[in-house]
Amino acid sequence: MAEAKKIKGRFLKLGWLGTGLAALSIVAAACSSNSGSSPTTTKAGSTTQAGGSGQNVTSELQSLEKPPTGSIALSETGSTLLFPLFQLWAPAYNSAYPNVTVTPAGTGSGTGIAQAAAGAVQIGASDAYLSSSQVSKYPGLLNIPVAISAQQINYNIPNFTGKLQLSGSVLSEIYQGKITNWNDSKIAAINPGVTLPNLTIVPLHRSDGSGDTFLFTQYLSKSDANGWGTNYSYNTTWTGPAISSALAENGNGGMVSGCKATPGCIAYIGISFLDQTNADGLGEAYIQNASGKYMQPDSTNIEAEVNSLVGQTPANQAMSLIYGPDAGGYPIVNYEYAIVNSTQSDANTAKAVAAFLAWCMDPANGGQASYLSKVHFEPLPSQALSQSVTQLKQIH
Amino acid sequence: MQATWVFDGRSSTTVSAPGDVLAPSRIDERDSGNGVGQFARNDRPMSILKKVFPKGDTLLVWFCKFLSYLPLLALLGIVGELFFQALPSIKVSGFGFFTTSDWKPGSSYANPISTSGVMHPPGAHFGIVPLIVGTISTSLIAIVIAVPVSIGAAIIIVEKLPAKLSGFLGLSLEVLAGVPSVVFGLWGVLVLGPFLSHHITPFISKHAPNVPVLNIFKGPTGAGEGLLTSGLVLSLMIIPIIASTCRELFRQVPVTAREGARALGMTDYEVVRKVDIPWVSSGIIGASVLGLGRALGETMAVAMISGSVTGTFPANIYSTMSTIAATIVSQLDSALTDSTNFFVSSLAEAGLVLLAMSLMANLFARFLVKRVSGTALPVGRGV
Repeated sequence: MAEAKKIKGRFLKLGWLGTGLAALSIVAAACSSNSGSSPTTTKAGSTTQAGGSGQNVTSELQSLEKPPTGSIALSETGSTLLFPLFQLWAPAYNSAYPNVTVTPAGTGSGTGIAQAAAGAVQIGASDAYLSSSQVSKYPGLLNIPVAISAQQINYNIPNFTGKLQLSGSVLSEIYQGKITNWNDSKIAAINPGVTLPNLTIVPLHRSDGSGDTFLFTQYLSKSDANGWGTNYSYNTTWTGPAISSALAENGNGGMVSGCKATPGCIAYIGISFLDQTNADGLGEAYIQNASGKYMQPDSTNIEAEVNSLVGQTPANQAMSLIYGPDAGGYPIVNYEYAIVNSTQSDANTAKAVAAFLAWCMDPANGGQASYLSKVHFEPLPSQALSQSVTQLKQIH
Repeated sequence: MQATWVFDGRSSTTVSAPGDVLAPSRIDERDSGNGVGQFARNDRPMSILKKVFPKGDTLLVWFCKFLSYLPLLALLGIVGELFFQALPSIKVSGFGFFTTSDWKPGSSYANPISTSGVMHPPGAHFGIVPLIVGTISTSLIAIVIAVPVSIGAAIIIVEKLPAKLSGFLGLSLEVLAGVPSVVFGLWGVLVLGPFLSHHITPFISKHAPNVPVLNIFKGPTGAGEGLLTSGLVLSLMIIPIIASTCRELFRQVPVTAREGARALGMTDYEVVRKVDIPWVSSGIIGASVLGLGRALGETMAVAMISGSVTGTFPANIYSTMSTIAATIVSQLDSALTDSTNFFVSSLAEAGLVLLAMSLMANLFARFLVKRVSGTALPVGRGV
């Protein structure tokens, strides 16, 4: 008995030591975790020539699409606009190549960029391209377009069924708190023959870091250059002035439910949420483009906008498609980016990331209308596709 | 009785403080051969560990002393790291951080500019005043509702209800204390907010008198996300903390004092008012500040139901707003995309301010408790 107790005592002692060491290491980890652990990067950001012809791209995509063997788990996080599409792509790719699982999460483009830069996920999703200062801070970080998206402007005006037209300068004044009621004369001036009710406007914006915010504020900056552009500019975080009637929501889903719950609201929402905004009875405004025409986004005017600007896209594909010159183009259109570190943890992961993304943008696979039309996205034009493939090949 | 308890390198007689009446029985327990202290007695065969590490006991003592300082070190480490992170923001914003109300991250897509040697995006400006106002006002609403409710509930549970029912109610209070804050937030978003904005707040707004103070209840009522909803949800979250502490406090009131009061002809109300509450008033203050501390720092629920609007002061009690904690959690990720790190630095400074506020609330509570009871501990005193 005494012997047993002695042994117990020893274990007690050892247990104590163990607990102490564990506690120590936890604290040490907690103290050191914040001291700038930047991911290992190489100089892969150098510009390369855009890819070749359409035939080459197809064969290149096919050669990239096959992942290496062995089970590989990839994480994706970011843009809530791109999230519904990743939710379609991930299981489809998994059924084609069962050894690769991709776990998507809709957390906002800000998170997508931050987590991909930190190496917490292999694929970040963003509606916004990387800023030049981000690129110089994380030289290995690539922004690779996988599809084309657009932003819609929704509103909740009870019992209003007419056609509502909004221009950049009117939207800018609404979000600056200068236009506060739907019956304002400036709104009436661009909506002849339409009667709007006496109802306070509640401008909704995103509380999280968001590519939607980036696209919308970039539209305001370009269409109201001397007003919004000079004073507030654009960012993934809301940069506009604080107005007391405003409401901020988390994610596109939050914008939809928040707008539904708030009579008088106006909100910018990604086009992948069109089905939800329709189901919730939100109105969709006609938005003025650079040629003064008002339109709702559809595949024709989105493609017109993209085609007018795709030729100017640089090799790193950081390019705004907002407020382009085409008279028939919808003004708030963008590349949907996968944010990927060109240096992955190992060769297999790198190959799997490139394989999955190649499959996603391949017009014969993830780029098919059957996937894209479910979220109202458009496929990449061939020139953008070959540029994306060139970027994919930098992942190692 | 001269056996030396080697664990702390001192004789057992020095373990007990003079006048500690419990000490002899503790020593007896060790001597009876069942205690943990037995294994290291000198008159027993030496353990293998003892042979391998002859200085093991001393080392263990030092190690344990070190462990006992770890919480302090962790606190200092956190404050130090936070301060270090906040330094660029402190340099650029200076006192403006505490006097201005803009909360603008600037344009991280433009080229960074330099102020006082710190790089930051152009247009970046951070002023924490509206966030402090939001933090304090939500917590005040929570305290104003939670304290009377908690005291009332605790008194009824202790004084009036039959033992079984009061036990059940007490248990439900503790269960309520264990509900995760995100669940409260979800309930606030899906149930309480819409219910208030559809059925309650328009009525209050319409009929509230337009006089100073009470006119905060007038004006647009919003969609259910904002100051009032946040305050109400926070009050629900802190009621269990305050009420269960109050329940323990009222149990400490000696039955003789209560019976004496009754014998003098006092009514139930008078017993509570003149005996129960004065007896434990310092403890009630302590409990309330415990609740206040929770309300000040509560993050998730508020982030979900505050409306998350930074940079404005609430126009009325229904206005959307945000608190320091909620802003930190909802903006940290986008702050991390700021390549100059200035946004993160400003959030770190906001975190420091929140830390200072909780600390001040605690110190203030200690001061009040001392004034009321003459002791720093939240315990009862005579009538």
